[in-house]
Amino acid sequence: MLLEEHYFTAPKRASPRLLSLSLASRSEDLQWMGSTSSKGPNDNRELLSTLPVTPRSGRDLLQGLADPRGRVGRRIADCEPMWRGLWTLVSRAARGPHRRSARPYPADTHLFNILGPQSFTGEDCAEFHVHGGPAVVSGVLQALGSVPGLRPAEAGEFTRRAFAHGKLSLTEVEGLADLIHSETEAQRRQALRQLDGELGDLCRGWAETLTKALAHVEAYIDFSEDDNLEEGVLDQADSEVRRLEVALGVHLRDARRGQRLRSGAHVVVAGPPNAGKSSLVNLLSRKPVSIVSPEPGTTRDVLETPVDLAGFPALLSDTAGLREGVGPVEQEGVRRAQKRLEQADLILAVLDASDLASPASCNFLDTVVIPAGAGNPSGSHQRLLLVLNKSDLLPAGRSDPHPDLPSHLLLSCLTGEGLDGLLEALKKELAALCGDPSTGPLLTRSRHQHHLQGCLDALGQYRQAKDLALAAEALRVARGHLSHLTGGGGTEEILDIIFRDFCVGK
Amino acid sequence: MFCIRGCGRRVAASLIKQHLASVRFGGDSAAPWTPHFDVVVIGGGHAGTEAAAAAARCGSRTLLLTHRVDTIGQMSCNPSFGGIGKGHLMREVDALDGLCSRICDQSGIHYKVLNRRKGPAVWGLRAQIDRKLYKQNMQKEILNTPLLTVQEGAVEDLILTEPEPEHTGKYRVSGVVLADGSTVFAESVVLTTGTFLRGMIVIGLEMHPAGRLGDQPSIGLAQTLEKLGFVVGRLKTGTPPRIAKESVNFSILNKQTPDNPSIPFSFINQTVWIKPEDQLPCYLTHTNPQVDEIVLENLHLNCHVKETTRGPRYCPSIESKVLRFPNRVHQVWLEPEGMDSDLIYPQGLSVTLPAELQEKMITCIRGLENAKMIQPGYGVQYDYMDPRQISPSLETRLVQRLFFAGQINGTTGYEEAAAQGVIAGINASLRVRHKPPFVISRTEGYIGVLIDDLTTLGTNEPYRMFTSRAEFRLSLRPDNADSRLTFRGYKEAGCVSQQRYERASWMKSSLEEGISMLKSIEFLSTKWKNLIPESSISSGKSLPLRALDVLKYEEVDMELLARAVPEPLKKYTQCRELAERLKIEATYESVLFHQQQEIKEVQRDEALQLPKDLDYLTLKDISLSYEVREKLHLSRPQTIGAASRIPGVTAAAIVNLLRFVKTTQQRQAAMNRVPKIDQQLRDTDRLEESQL
Repeated sequence: MLLEEHYFTAPKRASPRLLSLSLASRSEDLQWMGSTSSKGPNDNRELLSTLPVTPRSGRDLLQGLADPRGRVGRRIADCEPMWRGLWTLVSRAARGPHRRSARPYPADTHLFNILGPQSFTGEDCAEFHVHGGPAVVSGVLQALGSVPGLRPAEAGEFTRRAFAHGKLSLTEVEGLADLIHSETEAQRRQALRQLDGELGDLCRGWAETLTKALAHVEAYIDFSEDDNLEEGVLDQADSEVRRLEVALGVHLRDARRGQRLRSGAHVVVAGPPNAGKSSLVNLLSRKPVSIVSPEPGTTRDVLETPVDLAGFPALLSDTAGLREGVGPVEQEGVRRAQKRLEQADLILAVLDASDLASPASCNFLDTVVIPAGAGNPSGSHQRLLLVLNKSDLLPAGRSDPHPDLPSHLLLSCLTGEGLDGLLEALKKELAALCGDPSTGPLLTRSRHQHHLQGCLDALGQYRQAKDLALAAEALRVARGHLSHLTGGGGTEEILDIIFRDFCVGK
Repeated sequence: MFCIRGCGRRVAASLIKQHLASVRFGGDSAAPWTPHFDVVVIGGGHAGTEAAAAAARCGSRTLLLTHRVDTIGQMSCNPSFGGIGKGHLMREVDALDGLCSRICDQSGIHYKVLNRRKGPAVWGLRAQIDRKLYKQNMQKEILNTPLLTVQEGAVEDLILTEPEPEHTGKYRVSGVVLADGSTVFAESVVLTTGTFLRGMIVIGLEMHPAGRLGDQPSIGLAQTLEKLGFVVGRLKTGTPPRIAKESVNFSILNKQTPDNPSIPFSFINQTVWIKPEDQLPCYLTHTNPQVDEIVLENLHLNCHVKETTRGPRYCPSIESKVLRFPNRVHQVWLEPEGMDSDLIYPQGLSVTLPAELQEKMITCIRGLENAKMIQPGYGVQYDYMDPRQISPSLETRLVQRLFFAGQINGTTGYEEAAAQGVIAGINASLRVRHKPPFVISRTEGYIGVLIDDLTTLGTNEPYRMFTSRAEFRLSLRPDNADSRLTFRGYKEAGCVSQQRYERASWMKSSLEEGISMLKSIEFLSTKWKNLIPESSISSGKSLPLRALDVLKYEEVDMELLARAVPEPLKKYTQCRELAERLKIEATYESVLFHQQQEIKEVQRDEALQLPKDLDYLTLKDISLSYEVREKLHLSRPQTIGAASRIPGVTAAAIVNLLRFVKTTQQRQAAMNRVPKIDQQLRDTDRLEESQL
């Protein structure tokens, strides 16, 4: 069973995107759903197979879906349980944690269920059309990756299957090899890019450990009886596998970036009272979230709103202005604001550009901005953007009035001047936080995660297996998953290690 | 008709004159006197005997040509058969009704299953074999095989004719020329020359031409093959010295006793010829620093070790062990050579030092202080043909109807040779009868793995089987070799006897019935725990469990299960083999399901045949990089599956090949198809389209 991903970006619209996921399967692979209904005469074939896959038809279908008595809705209900199950899974994942019914997003997920041999590959296919940004893509991929028997397609696998089923004419296939070449080339480069640096070192290290453990287990199987392998070969492999399991587990649980991309990065707006935090929140969310007044201390609680910042989902929090010596209610607000600051992925520090010398501003600079290491984002673990609001109050003509401050942006919430610059900076920061989906590593990353998880599962099976042949098989599966990320893993490599490490043979 | 004759052959010919084909040893007295056979097999070693017997079983009139009839079935090196991976091969040879497993069951003197505690998929059936008995029994079998004639003679040359146009190849072999100048015509020829092609024996600094100690090498034949354009390589191997049994002090050594009961090699045997208590023990001793010292001090007297020819990494001489892993103690197994043999084979002591130093080295070893060396160890260097020049049926691509099997293809080991012998014999026979070749896929057996590895990847050291080479190790087990191969052998090759076929059929249906029975019995886990208190089934949660799941527990076997549920399981315990096989099937059930899926994928790719006569280097209609072209040209994969296993052949190249295959198929189909049907098909297509 395969999973291939296509992006259909609607023309001239950056967001939301229309995503189509294709799933091709041979029905026996899908027995995980416990589907028992036999394939009846399928009346949805004529409807589904002839629909062109364009955003326009997606819209039409959507209306059908919204109406429970509508044509398409009924058809989905008529689908085999297996497809229905997949649809439920995908639409749940696509809705995301912060999606509320009142959101202006078009509501739902469509399933094109195309039954073989009319489909592209000639096998039973499903295409999911989902609205949403990278977070949705990531969420849906993750949900699909959790289905046993589902795996991402190899480069060109769909096309190869189509070809094998005689669905492509020879002229159509001519371009195919080039396509696959460029696809694999792109993947290779992408993998290289991703494997450059810390994560790459990690992966290669894991693969090395695992290959060695596997070689030792294989040596124990193929040689130990009539050769004197050193004592404890197997124990050594066991402990290496256990270490690897821990390392992989930690890595997978720490997938904060993926988490941020799914549920949104926490962006906290903070600053001294009356700096214009609430104005900024309202400006960014394009709706009146917070009450704005000239009176300092208007916002006393933390106000949250999910927003789409430059294509990235974010949870924007407006906080009480930080100051001391106020009433108990505002004091509590300040305490909450400080707590929220600690949890922030990105701090939008707002200061009044015309009031930088005030004690509240200085205090804020000293306690929040400087410790976060603004201007040196690579060195800090908490990202911070310093925004000087009310630039309209500054005398005109001076390009940078505050050379002694850390790097900052000028903004006027009143006139909207500087907003583009801010959005650009936000995009950069969020891309670093969530990973930039437009450059493509999203797919690689979900693949990455899929294989790492597969590897971890197999290592678990290794530990449980009593039969050594079964244990070795689990390690082979684990190695297979890692070799998708790092290459290698052939029999010869294993044999080379065996003969290098052991004196075996008669 | 023309001959390519080796210029150096007369050297050998003059020495072999005494063994000319004046005497014929025939099992089949009705064979006609005219020297024309369906299949001629050259060589009477492990590959040759299997090839000749298989060809005869398939119904071909077969001639086995050997230097000496009294060396047929000679075990030239170790006095044992089987082992891990090798035992798998023997079971598969037996499933195709080959000889070695049955002969071993008549000649074994110490049976032991290796890897007993590591899971039935990797059990290694192994036995020490009485050399004399094995040779006797093998000769009896070979000389009494219907349709098989045995003749002494040294083959010097091949008779070649114009190739058949419908097959690839530059020539076609149609017979052989013997050293005395006489000829034998043949429809197919199988070459199983072992280490005899330009064989050189090395002891210390002495080198002399010989295929085996005391036997002449084949030089003329080697030159013929080289002249024909075969790519020839050189390999080396070695054998340890032999020691007089009465000179060994066994009392101070570790004794290893055989298994009780003995597990026979052959599917058709329930027992072996000898009782476990009458079998002989083996003994274990170790090398010590003195041995290292002697080896290291005398490297200058050891030209076998200095040469760059590749030897096996996994059957290393004591010299290479000492050089690669210094300051270590190495095992030496002292193995009996036979029931009444007075020789001991020190396994692990392969050595090519000068003879007097070998003796000195031996006497340093514990238990061997007073050992008398009867025959020195020696090294052998020999020619082999790059196995990428043969197709998976073992027929050479260059010369039609010429088959290679055994060490000539770069393998080492009796079992590897026997496995290739069976396949070559079957295919030589099928070729004569214009039937499609009998090819075992690597998804079907270790034989398939062996041949696929050799023919697609080649080898640069003597190739030995390991279980780690098989991707589908859990499916390719020693216990189920019959259900994998016997039916195919019976139906496609005709090499399997009726009796064996019926036994395999009975076993298959009993297994299927047993498994579905075990699946149908389902109780709650608490009830199972009560029924089988010995088991480690957790009674904490009450879940429904099938009998098959219960059988997966390590400590549960069919015996226990049948005691808990006598009806209807009792009858499955009556046959020991059936009960054991049910247990094994249960152990691997969950993984086998997934493995079957993978196997199907591989088989889909293997069903896509590549045209045999493709010239990858000049092929125009296909876009391939030069690097890929060269790789394909060298390996000449027969299927898309084989092509995809060649390192460096990219996914894009595979698709291009796929496209090429499809075009070729379509072109062929178009040529064969009646235009009317074509029209009808198009009409139906149109009809379907309009309905949509």
